[in-house]
Amino acid sequence: MMPTLHINGRRVTVAEDATILDAARAASVHIPTLCQFDGLEPWGGCRLCVVDMSRESWDDDWFKVVTACNHPVEEGMTVLTDSERIVETRRVVLDLLLARCPETPLVQRLAREHGIEKTSFEPNPEPDDCILCGLCTRVCDHIGVSAIASVNRGWGREIAPPFHQAPPDCIGCLACAEICPTDCIPYSTSSSRREIWGREFEMLRDPKTGEAVITKEQAEHFARRSGVPLAYFETSDTSKRREMAKTFEKLQVVK
Amino acid sequence: MKMIFKVSVERCIACGKCELACAFAHGSEGRPAKTRINIHRRGPELGTPVVCFQCDDAACVAVCPTEALTRNRETGAIDMVRERCILCRMCVAACPFGNMLWDETYHCVQKCDLCEGDPRCVPFCPTGAIAWVPVEEAARPPQPLDREALVLEGGV
Repeated sequence: MMPTLHINGRRVTVAEDATILDAARAASVHIPTLCQFDGLEPWGGCRLCVVDMSRESWDDDWFKVVTACNHPVEEGMTVLTDSERIVETRRVVLDLLLARCPETPLVQRLAREHGIEKTSFEPNPEPDDCILCGLCTRVCDHIGVSAIASVNRGWGREIAPPFHQAPPDCIGCLACAEICPTDCIPYSTSSSRREIWGREFEMLRDPKTGEAVITKEQAEHFARRSGVPLAYFETSDTSKRREMAKTFEKLQVVK
Repeated sequence: MKMIFKVSVERCIACGKCELACAFAHGSEGRPAKTRINIHRRGPELGTPVVCFQCDDAACVAVCPTEALTRNRETGAIDMVRERCILCRMCVAACPFGNMLWDETYHCVQKCDLCEGDPRCVPFCPTGAIAWVPVEEAARPPQPLDREALVLEGGV
C-alpha cells in the first residue's frame, strides 16, 4: 500500500519506505538541507530540514517538529514546511551556523535566503568553514574505511583523524573532500602523489602511460569489497580503450 | 523492441564526427577531447570506435559504493545518478574497457548514457560504422565499405 499524505496542502502518494523529504520532493515542495546526500543514509544532524508533522490519529491542531530527511511517511499524515515555528527554528539554526562560520559562502547564502544578513550571536573569532554536517565521516564509514571521526564535543567539536595523526586506515579516495559542501578539507593530487589528512599516498599508475586516478590503497580496498579483480584497476582508461580497439580489429569479419 | 548500439569497425573512417556530436550533445563545450565515444585511430582513415557496452554484469556498478550507477529500464543504459556520486573515481579505474571517463573540467565522471534512447552520435556517422538497431539486426555481418569511392566522393 502506497501511503498518501498532505504537504502544505498538496496531496502526494509515495512509496512505503519514502521519507518526508522524498515526499516533499515528489510534491515539488522545497525543504532546505545541509547534511543530506542521496547516496548516504539520512542522519538528521543539521536540523535544517525540520517540518511540522501531524499523524492521522492526532488532533487536527496537534503537530510535532521532526526532521524530514529521516522521518518515514505514513498514511494520512499532514506536513507543514512553512509554519511560523518551523521558519523560526530554521532561522535559529542558520543564525548559529553563521556565528560559527561567518565567512563561509554557503552558510552566508543560506542565511540570506532566510532573511539573516548578520548573526545575532557573537561571531566566531577564529572563523571555520566546517559546518559539522558529518558528510565526510559518514561517507568514510559508508565505504567501509572509517578513517576520520568527529572528536570532542560542544564548541570544541571537530572532524579529525585519530589523535590528529596521519590516519593509518585512510585509503586516499578523496570522497570526504569531494562530498564536503564547503570544500574545507584540503588535499592535493597528481598522477604520481596524493596527500590528504597529512598522509601521503602513492598512485596506482598505468605502466605505459603513467596516468592514474586512484591510489594503491584504494584499489586494494575496493577490490576486496566489490569482488572486482585487482588487475582491472592496474591500467588506465586510455590503455584499456587501446587494448579494446586492437581486439576489435582482430574480430573484423570483412576487410 | 530492444535496441542496441552496433559498431562496425570495418566501416569506420576515423572522421571524428561521432566524437564531436557527443561532445556537443552533452554540453562538454563541444570539445571532442571530452567525448564519451572514442575513436582509436590506427592509420589514415582507419578507426575503431570504442563506446560503453552497458554490460549486463558491469564492473563499474559492482565497484560503486553508493549505487550511483543504475540500469535505465527504458534505454538499457547504465545511468549515472549524479546526486548519489561521491566522485571516488573507482568506476573509472574498474571499467575493463576504459569507457568510464574522468572529466577534470567539470570535475565529474562521464559515461555514455545512450542519450535517453536516441544516441546523438549515430545520425552523424557518414558510413554507418555506428548504428542504433533492433537486437535481431545486430548479429548481421556489416557490408564492406568501398573506401576508393569514398575518397573520390570527398573531392581531392
